[in-house]
Amino acid sequence: METIVRLENMTKDYGLNRVVTRALRGVDLTLESGEFTAMAGPSGSGKSTLLNIIGGLDRPTSGRVEVEGRDLGLLSSTELSRMRRDRIGFIFQSYSLIPVLTVLENAEYVLMLKGVPAARRAEIVRALLKEVGLEGMESRFPRELSGGQQQRVAIARAIAPEPALVLADEPTANVDSKTADSLLELMRQLNEEKGVTFLFSTHDPEVMRRARRLLLLKDGRISHNGGVGHTLDAD
Amino acid sequence: MVCRLAWRSIWRNRRRTLITVVSIGFGLGLALFFISWGEGIYSQMIDQVCRMQAGHITLENPEYREAPAVDLIIDDLAGLRSEIEGWPEVDSTKLLVLGQGIAKSAAGNVAAAITGVEPSVESRTSPLARNIVEGTYLDERDRNLVVVGSELARRLNLKVGKKLVITTNDVSGMLVDELCRVKGIFKTGSDELDAYVIQATIGFARRVFRMPKSAATQMAVILKNADEQEEILARIGGILPGSPIVALPWQKVLPEVASYIKVDKGSNWVFQGILIFLILFTIFNTLLMSVLERQREFAVLLAIGTNPATLRFQIFMESVYLGLIGVFLGVALGAAASYTVNIWGIDLSTFLKEGVTVSGFALSTRIYTKLTPKILVALSAIVFGATLILSLIPMRRVSRVSIVDELR
Repeated sequence: METIVRLENMTKDYGLNRVVTRALRGVDLTLESGEFTAMAGPSGSGKSTLLNIIGGLDRPTSGRVEVEGRDLGLLSSTELSRMRRDRIGFIFQSYSLIPVLTVLENAEYVLMLKGVPAARRAEIVRALLKEVGLEGMESRFPRELSGGQQQRVAIARAIAPEPALVLADEPTANVDSKTADSLLELMRQLNEEKGVTFLFSTHDPEVMRRARRLLLLKDGRISHNGGVGHTLDAD
Repeated sequence: MVCRLAWRSIWRNRRRTLITVVSIGFGLGLALFFISWGEGIYSQMIDQVCRMQAGHITLENPEYREAPAVDLIIDDLAGLRSEIEGWPEVDSTKLLVLGQGIAKSAAGNVAAAITGVEPSVESRTSPLARNIVEGTYLDERDRNLVVVGSELARRLNLKVGKKLVITTNDVSGMLVDELCRVKGIFKTGSDELDAYVIQATIGFARRVFRMPKSAATQMAVILKNADEQEEILARIGGILPGSPIVALPWQKVLPEVASYIKVDKGSNWVFQGILIFLILFTIFNTLLMSVLERQREFAVLLAIGTNPATLRFQIFMESVYLGLIGVFLGVALGAAASYTVNIWGIDLSTFLKEGVTVSGFALSTRIYTKLTPKILVALSAIVFGATLILSLIPMRRVSRVSIVDELR
């Protein structure tokens, strides 16, 4: 198994009006390829901060962050941007699709950024949309879709460039439990069939149960890193 | 796809975009119309003044402008005149004899400008010949007949058929008197022309001033299109070397009219500049608001790997589309309004009952616009170019979006 993410003694402080808040305190973590990992913890425990730093959206205050062996701290903003485009997929809580682009255009956007020719893009994305259950909806706009369907488009957009890692920040928080279940099933299926590595944050115990590995964060530290069932049962 | 995204983005807030492009279109259309209005007035003014006076180009003795006097003549003009009249850009040429004198009648005497003209040419080209209010205009066979301005006629109590005496100095400085009779009275609306000018045939003027039979003080070249003045002036300059004649543009012969146009044109452009500034403010507001509203969307695009340069290009293209639509609309509105007024004109006589005079020259109260491709392109380019420059600020703003803050 290949190591996708490695964090070493990583801290993150936020400063506002000379008051420093420590969001992450010495986090060590390794994620291997093909993992399907959930990250849970109370609000303010540092879940989103951790995802942002692994995704190269934010920089740590100290410590080392590596994605596919590359130290993110040494990358310029342009290199980070290229790494996000090529190697990391993002799924956001509120779908975050571009409202003026169709389903097909939203899903192929990152491929367009990579310079994939239009015909090839369409071919890849049509196949993906079929996989995520949106066949026939290619020319619809996000406003014409349900929340669950929009999140499926976001998933297709995230995995279209075949990233090494998909980071999902509470991907099921805005949908009902049935839709959440189907989205989790889809992500799990993509993980198993395509080997896509997922790291997602959640508050929902049902979602956590679907993960193969669970990280629990508390006060900026990882308090649990391992199996799911026992931990949740204990809670 | 970025261009498609930019195009669709400007229509997200359809009402705001429509208000913006209509503002650009209306503002640019107004600016184009008012500039073409001004250009139309200047063009009419130049044409009327040049036709009434010494042409778009004046040929005269090189010393005449320094100290105008009837002894500073030009002669042997037949060959030169024939050549110039053969050019397709030239409407006509006319010979003039300009002198000063005193006009006397039983009622008194007044200073007068005695102008010797070729009636056949003058009646075809000069607005003065078409403004006879009593009697008739001159013709070539008239010997001692003159037309006088209405104000001069009033001061000397002259009617058609009445006699007056002109006293002046001939080319040798001798004092001469000539008896003549009023054939017609003109009223141009210009106080200076109506109170000061006496027109007679050029033959009469040559006789009064004791000039050679083919001499004149000026040869006026009237062009079909005043814009071709520079080219024709250069061409005339090319055939004059060695000749004791100089060719002058109307701007040097009538500097007061040229100055008036320059000053008026300057203030017109300042006014249009203010209008364009207001248009640009609207565009800037739309571009900036549109970017500020989409901070989160830009953060998402940056997060999924969009290069900031790509986002800046998207904003640039949004400005291009807004600018192009607005400019096309403005050009259509401005050109349509200008074209209509260019064909039909607008009669301002209701508002300007006393007429319009500029530097002593009466002008028509029916105004025709003149929109040239140069103005159209220049103004459109200014608005479009400024739109693109204004987009730099929203573009810069996009580059500064904090992904983490916006996604939080």
